[in-house]
Amino acid sequence: MYEAVHARPDGESTVARVAKTAADYGFEGVVVRNHAGARAAYDPDEIRDEYGIDIVEGVEIRADDPQQASGSVGNFRTSHTVVGIHGGTTALNRFAVEQAKVDVLAHPMTGNGDFNHVLAKAAVENGVRIEFNLGGVLRESGGRRVRILQSLRKLGEIVDHYDAPYVVSADPTSHLELRTPRELKALGEEIGFSGEFVEDGLAEWGRMAERNRHVQSESFIEPGVERGRYEEEP
Amino acid sequence: MKHLPKHLRPRWRYLAVELETWPDERLGRRSFQRELWYAGQNLLGDPGSADADLSVVRFRFTDGTGEAVVKVRRGETESARAAVACIDEIDGAPVGIRVSGISGTIRAAEENYLGRDGQDSEERNVVFGNEERVAVLRDDVGDVRLDEAFVGATDLDYHLV
Repeated sequence: MYEAVHARPDGESTVARVAKTAADYGFEGVVVRNHAGARAAYDPDEIRDEYGIDIVEGVEIRADDPQQASGSVGNFRTSHTVVGIHGGTTALNRFAVEQAKVDVLAHPMTGNGDFNHVLAKAAVENGVRIEFNLGGVLRESGGRRVRILQSLRKLGEIVDHYDAPYVVSADPTSHLELRTPRELKALGEEIGFSGEFVEDGLAEWGRMAERNRHVQSESFIEPGVERGRYEEEP
Repeated sequence: MKHLPKHLRPRWRYLAVELETWPDERLGRRSFQRELWYAGQNLLGDPGSADADLSVVRFRFTDGTGEAVVKVRRGETESARAAVACIDEIDGAPVGIRVSGISGTIRAAEENYLGRDGQDSEERNVVFGNEERVAVLRDDVGDVRLDEAFVGATDLDYHLV
């Protein structure tokens, strides 16, 4: 299971600290998804060797409009394993699910954002994962939390009906905001998602990273065409 | 009142809970208990939190880390775990919290799941981001003091002066 985090300067802890805590908590990997304007400086291989946890280089693109987002996706796609869109407006939610180069539509329901069957079908077609962001459930209270729970329930029903791909995250911005997979599963059960749903959503980050690494590796040319062993010099 | 016969007494489970916060924060047992009950009530509702019980029976906090044992009615451990996960602040101090294990007795919970981090923290000058800073170090992690906040870091991020 993987967790997708915001590290310093986007959050309060360095990538290494979050990774160490995540390793202690039983995660297999961490996706660093700092916003495009606040990228972290870190050495993934060093952290991986030190703490025995996979570090996935990702980015979350925050843009004012689809044109700007489109440019950023083009810029980051080749250099980052996981590319997400900071959702929350109708225009960007729609842009994200219709763009096959995007991996994740993060927190589509925050702010003025909404989600419907049209977006769900587009997400299925383009393989864009919809994020279930548990951060608000963990860290908000009162009426705001009720609204967040309502929106998660709605999102869950739509995603379930169309069998759309999804990911789950607690969206931590420091090592203190991380929660263990078992805690997240227990929380999911309380708010109406099954434990398997949450577990699957956490694992999906890892599957996505593995697939994208394969696609971006040198041996991959296009779907069905790969550099095989017969091309090597004798 | 005369105590209940054994088969009528509630069965308890004890959650071993580990806490962590920034080095300049202090967490108290009473405030932890209050936040735990709030979290239970907000997530599980009054009936759910009454079922879970969620009383703190052991609490210890020193130097930015702490541990506690929380009493929970048997069969409610998963909902209690969810409520524990929803504690994000205690008296305004952000906390990292995890359930490290569950036992049938307080003693087993303490012996098996708590008391493993007997490390002392120390203040040292470090170089972090090309500037000399003060950091509170513990094992191989450290919290580096910036102008008004801390940054969670590890040995990979700074050099000792």
